[in-house]
Amino acid sequence: MEVIAKILILINSVTNVIGSIVFAPIGIMPGWLSNTIISAVAGVLMLLVFKHTSNQTAIGKVRDGIKANMLAIKLYKDSFSVTITSLAKVFKGAVLLLFYSSKPMLIMIVPVVLLLAQMGLWYQFKPISPGRDALVFITLKDQMSPDFSEVSLEPFSGYEVVTGPVRIYSKKQVFWKIRTVESGKHDLNFKVGQQQFHKELVSGDGFERINPKTPAMKWNDVLFYPADKPFSKDSAVQSIEIEYPRRDSLTCGSDSWIFFFFIISIIAALLFKPFLNVKI
Amino acid sequence: MSYCGNSVPGLIILINRKSMNKKSLKFLLLILLVILALPGTAHAYIGPGAGFAIMGSFWVMFTALFSALIAILTWPIRFIIRSIKGRRAFARSKVKKVVILGLDGMDYGLAEKMLNEGKLPNFAKLREQGCFKPLQTTVPSISPVAWSSFQTGCNPGKHNIFDFLTRDKKTYCPKLSSVDIRGASRNISFGKYNIPFGKSDIRLLRKSKPFWKTLGENGIFSNVLRVPITFPPEKFYGVSLSGMCVPDLRGSQGMFSYYTTEQNNGERTGGEHFNVTRNGERIEARLVGPDNPFLKEAKPLTIPFTVTTSDNSKVELKIGGQTYQLDKDVYTEWITVEFKAGPVKISGICKFLLLSVAPEFELYVTPINIDPAKPAMPISHPAVYSTYLAKSQGPFATLGLAEDSWALNEKVLVDESFIEQCELSDKEREYMFFDSLDKVGRGLCVCVFDGTDRLQHTFWRDIDHDHPIHQGNEPKDRNVIEELYVRMDRLVAKTMEKCKSDDTLLMIISDHGFSTFRHGIDLNRWLEDNGYLRIKDGTRGDKYLTGIDWSQTKAYAVGLTGIYLNLKGRESQGIVDSGQEADTLRDEIAEKLSALNDPAANEPAIKNVYNALKTYKGPYKNEAPDLIVGYNKGYRASWETAVGQVTEEVFHPNLKAWSGDHCIDPTLVPGVLFCNRPVTDDRTRLMDIGPTVLDMFGVEVPAYMDGKALKVAFSETPDKIQKG
Repeated sequence: MEVIAKILILINSVTNVIGSIVFAPIGIMPGWLSNTIISAVAGVLMLLVFKHTSNQTAIGKVRDGIKANMLAIKLYKDSFSVTITSLAKVFKGAVLLLFYSSKPMLIMIVPVVLLLAQMGLWYQFKPISPGRDALVFITLKDQMSPDFSEVSLEPFSGYEVVTGPVRIYSKKQVFWKIRTVESGKHDLNFKVGQQQFHKELVSGDGFERINPKTPAMKWNDVLFYPADKPFSKDSAVQSIEIEYPRRDSLTCGSDSWIFFFFIISIIAALLFKPFLNVKI
Repeated sequence: MSYCGNSVPGLIILINRKSMNKKSLKFLLLILLVILALPGTAHAYIGPGAGFAIMGSFWVMFTALFSALIAILTWPIRFIIRSIKGRRAFARSKVKKVVILGLDGMDYGLAEKMLNEGKLPNFAKLREQGCFKPLQTTVPSISPVAWSSFQTGCNPGKHNIFDFLTRDKKTYCPKLSSVDIRGASRNISFGKYNIPFGKSDIRLLRKSKPFWKTLGENGIFSNVLRVPITFPPEKFYGVSLSGMCVPDLRGSQGMFSYYTTEQNNGERTGGEHFNVTRNGERIEARLVGPDNPFLKEAKPLTIPFTVTTSDNSKVELKIGGQTYQLDKDVYTEWITVEFKAGPVKISGICKFLLLSVAPEFELYVTPINIDPAKPAMPISHPAVYSTYLAKSQGPFATLGLAEDSWALNEKVLVDESFIEQCELSDKEREYMFFDSLDKVGRGLCVCVFDGTDRLQHTFWRDIDHDHPIHQGNEPKDRNVIEELYVRMDRLVAKTMEKCKSDDTLLMIISDHGFSTFRHGIDLNRWLEDNGYLRIKDGTRGDKYLTGIDWSQTKAYAVGLTGIYLNLKGRESQGIVDSGQEADTLRDEIAEKLSALNDPAANEPAIKNVYNALKTYKGPYKNEAPDLIVGYNKGYRASWETAVGQVTEEVFHPNLKAWSGDHCIDPTLVPGVLFCNRPVTDDRTRLMDIGPTVLDMFGVEVPAYMDGKALKVAFSETPDKIQKG
């Protein structure tokens, strides 16, 4: 799995550069608009990928077969046997459609997940407003000494520590409640023994590219928290996570932004389907 | 904390081992296993592909289930309605299913000969099991007339079809007798533009009622395929696909296109020829479609296409954004072409055939058929039936006369290409016919195959050694007509296999037989020679009767068998008084014409001349030609007569591939009746088939029908069939 994580680190280094440039306008646009544009463009691009990676002839035949059988049900509606036979053929067609979509689905899974990970950096969380509190977690390596006394969060002008450090021995975690003082991007500096660790803290309003977690070397965490390089397996610290507030919006807020993406990308693909001559 | 955690449509992968090669199957399985084996959830929405696939599939299943539910829940209600409306459908029925296979033009004499030679084993089985009889055709023995009598059970005086063509009483111009197509009645014009409102007015000129409509009124379902003179389609309880007389997309009865670099190629009847120029390896041309409905002035819509020649046996064709490879002498599949008129797209289908690349480039394009998937005008009942057929079997020929005999006549197509076209057309027909046999458990299935007619028309020259274009005495590689009958025998075998149930009545019929066509008779020239017709000076050879001096013409010929009197009050420039003068004239012309002798062959050219008023009965007998010419074997109306030209000679040798015909005296060309049950009547007529079917289903034969139910013998009682 570490190999996959390492490959993902390499890919993330590229997608982070592209994502930070391509998605930069999100910071100055209304969230619904930016998500609509990205979803629509992604929808059309994925439609093209679908066209060129799927067996269009076979899909066309299956679609025709389904339509023919649906029409047979209507045309021969007084024949019970035709209704049942056609129905069975329609179901078979539906299953075949899923089968023929599996190849483009597998091909698209990687780029789309990478895209969603980049989009998630913008839409899933919002920065901590000045004066608001947030929890900061640091998770230590398994074999660390149970004495957490050497773990500390160094003071800085951009925030103040309200509570902490609080130690949770069972989870090998230490956390602090901090309060941001001024807008901007600040560095949280942690000292673990003799080692220094950093994590960016984003404070303010509007849209900012936020990575809430610097993950461990696990492939799925590396995939979904792409902005920071993960900690190595033998690092004293395994993850640092800031609990940002969730963004509240139907079109560009926590969790719902991905449904919005789903709907808009499908609508865009449907609209462009006849022009691009794609059978889906 | 995982922000994608709530949005997991996930992956659904289904592997069909049959349709996938091993390598890609292993690859898919490996990826799937890797994903499933990894810790954590595959938090992924995979975009429109997956979205469509999953949503589409579930939507399909949902719609299918919903349709099924509706069908099942409404079944009792529909059953009650059907029972009430259908007055106990099938209650007195002797059979569950009647199947009529129409083989247009199958000749009794030829069939009998091949049966005796043992070449048609499956027809022979039918003869032994049931019957094989000559089937009396109509006067005249022409397909539109005969099939109209078949479907209505009436003589032509009641269904109003007397020929392929009739004449416009005002202009004398020949016109199609079965259908009248007019544009929308309301239009808004501005400048050169014209915006039509409403639908085109398409009227079926065949009168009376098909017997399957009567069956429908009695709750019996019918599936009717390609029976001639069913365009535009009529409503009834069942489904139908129209046949002969369905136009192509240009509104004609079949206009092929021929593109060539050869100059001075001359006029081609039935087709349009285009001179193209080669620019290096590239040839640019346009496919001509229907007229633009939004322009006042008739101007056809066109689609550009390019042909790139690579070697002498194949080229690359680009049309409508698609690229196709054309191999010499190989038809393409049906290619869909869309003509754009403003916001409207008119869809058609055609096939391309590369005839030659060098020294001259030659490309044949079939007439542009109405696209059955998106028909520009209704060609089926209900309208979606043609879409259903197109979706289940792919595109198919919809043109009434689907086999392009004009292109063969004009030597654009060689024999092999034409035969292949007929066979491909028959294959399409076979698919829909067998589909109807599978779908209809109880009711009527009718399907007419036209290939039998077209191939006998065009290859009779091979079996008539006295034909003007018979090619010597050397044996040919193939006997096309014999091959055709043998192929039909195989079709019969498959049909019998699907009709082997005891409660299915199978009838194989033809509308007429066939004979040779060696000489054409210019009837108008004969009328001129005998003082009944006068042409204006310098107009000899003009088409569509435009050169006739109507003020001095008493009779004229239009179509293949009819002679009309120029009657006062009926024709716009009539000079013959109806009554005594007309009666005398009819008898006089009939008598003289009956005596017409071919001086070259020294044989009578005419067997009989029928007086329409004495031959027909019914409300439309006055619409018929006054006289119907029953030619002797070897003779027919000349090609010039058919298009309203008056030539210098009465007799013309027929030098076209169209060498067989049936537009002769009906007694010389009976059709066939094969049945899987014995039929005990001595005389069987085409117009008896409809009444027989009604009788088989226990439906009373309407009094207006001229046909009578034939006596079909059963070995088991009708009661047993009803219970079954």
